[in-house]
Amino acid sequence: MLLALLGLLLVALAAATAAGSVPLPLRGVVLSTLAKASLYSGPAPLEAPLETILWTVRFPRVLLAALVGGGLAVVGASLQSVFRNPMADTSLLGVGSGASLGALIAVQLGWASRVFLALPLAAFLGALVTVLAVYAIAHAGGRPTLYGLLLTGLAVSALASAGTSLLLVTTEEFRVKNVLFWLAGGLEGRGWTHVQLASVLILLGCALLLLLSRSLDVLSLGEDEAGSLGLPVHATRLLILSVSSLVAGAATATAGSVPFVGLIAPHALRPLVGSLGRHLLPAAFLGGACLVVIADMVSRTASGSVDLPLGAITSLVGAPYFLIALRANEGRG
Amino acid sequence: MLRRVAVLGLLLCAGGAAAQAPAAPRRVASMNLSADEILVEILPLERLVSVTRWADSDSGNITGRVPASVFRIQKADLEQLVALRPELVVVSEYTDADFLKQLERTGLRYHRIEGLATLPGIRKAILDLGRAVGEPAAAERVAKAFDAKLADVAKRLGGVKQPRVLYWSSGMTAGADTAIGSLIECSGARNVGRELGITGIAPPGGERAFVADPDAILVGTWPRAVESVKEEPLLGKTRAVREGRIVVLPTSLLVALSQFSADACVELAARLHPDRVPAKRP
Repeated sequence: MLLALLGLLLVALAAATAAGSVPLPLRGVVLSTLAKASLYSGPAPLEAPLETILWTVRFPRVLLAALVGGGLAVVGASLQSVFRNPMADTSLLGVGSGASLGALIAVQLGWASRVFLALPLAAFLGALVTVLAVYAIAHAGGRPTLYGLLLTGLAVSALASAGTSLLLVTTEEFRVKNVLFWLAGGLEGRGWTHVQLASVLILLGCALLLLLSRSLDVLSLGEDEAGSLGLPVHATRLLILSVSSLVAGAATATAGSVPFVGLIAPHALRPLVGSLGRHLLPAAFLGGACLVVIADMVSRTASGSVDLPLGAITSLVGAPYFLIALRANEGRG
Repeated sequence: MLRRVAVLGLLLCAGGAAAQAPAAPRRVASMNLSADEILVEILPLERLVSVTRWADSDSGNITGRVPASVFRIQKADLEQLVALRPELVVVSEYTDADFLKQLERTGLRYHRIEGLATLPGIRKAILDLGRAVGEPAAAERVAKAFDAKLADVAKRLGGVKQPRVLYWSSGMTAGADTAIGSLIECSGARNVGRELGITGIAPPGGERAFVADPDAILVGTWPRAVESVKEEPLLGKTRAVREGRIVVLPTSLLVALSQFSADACVELAARLHPDRVPAKRP
């Protein structure tokens, strides 16, 4: 199954790299890739501008889409185990709303138009501060229950969203448009630097979560059962949530809001690979990567006059899928 | 001897500077409507490779002046820009820094058009853009015409009683540090938005707008511009609305941030002071 998913991802990557507002011939893309790996030394497979588009603009964007999708899917699968809640995803930790607030602050202060990486870094900082606030508030009265952590996350998210709304009203009109594009999700203007920065956190974070997959499986049995099996529940939960926050923060900071990926990928793959973390997490990564790569391709190519928001595309796919899966589940029940 | 060395040094520096200065770009892509409007005036059109899609807006300031062969940019798409092979890309003040870094990485140069919130800023932007595209003389001519129109309006409006004007658009007004605020002030009026302590484009609220009691309300020609003012519960009861002093200016002039701002000033002054300034457009 993993090999099939990997194959699907490679096909999606190839298609997404060839498709765009400036179509690149697939043969040229493949030969250019081989040339980069010193496996092809024939005549230049693409004209110079197309080579520039491929290696400076298109390929890093497609790669970033894969990283973002993979990271969000792995985080979603992990949180669903920790919270024992099939609806759990990154929004529970306040990552999205904190990142939005950070991004808006960068736009309003003019940093986003003057300083390279100001917007994603501010978004990442916003996400981190929000998550730390959730932990600090939840732990204020002693070790919180999962329920307490969940509700604290929702409350802090709401506060961050309120901050975003207040700032939006006072932001100059022409800057609001920049923020709206980011809030709706998208990868325009992202390059190799974004790939490098995001990949460190996302790949390392996902690898760590995979190493913790056995702990995830135990936690999914319930806190009491996990404790009775000798798992240090609180410390493990804290570690998983921290790593998940870093991965989700990096993904959201680079791509804005991309909902439903953390829900759809694990749900769709669980019946195929099972619920064990060591199978589900890698499958979720590959599945989530496919989903966002294809969604980004659609966002770039569906309309000639505007890039469709990436978040809208994943929602348009995710929401109906979820309703169908819910109906099917209720039917079986 | 020392003088000869100094002269030689100066000559060498000048030569070095000339060698380093980038050549005038032969192909210029514009991603900004203000830049579109300026470039159409100062640049030979065969050197213009793209304009924004708003250059073709109905009743726009340059509608019909850009040949069909010039590419119309629909969205900020780096790939399309690279494919156009421009030597210079003109971008907006608020263009994302990460997008610009990517632009540079593709080997493209860019010029940011900025400072468009004031009339002196617009004038400077015209001259800066002229230098960037290698047409300083043409830009100078445009700037001189710009100055002449504004000077003529100022002369005609000497000593005039200044009405208090409130700009209104979907609940927003223009305060200090806005081009529309500058437009109101250059046309012999006082900007109520500034008086309300507003900076930028912001909502004053119906109540504050009502209490401010403007002498006139300025709107554009977007759909239902006048009706929406009349229908606003409090604004509709202001003296300005009751006495029929809703001033309508073509939207293309109202939001112009180019040499057309001077035309906007003339047209608004003509509407506010018809006895002093003749209108050029109906």
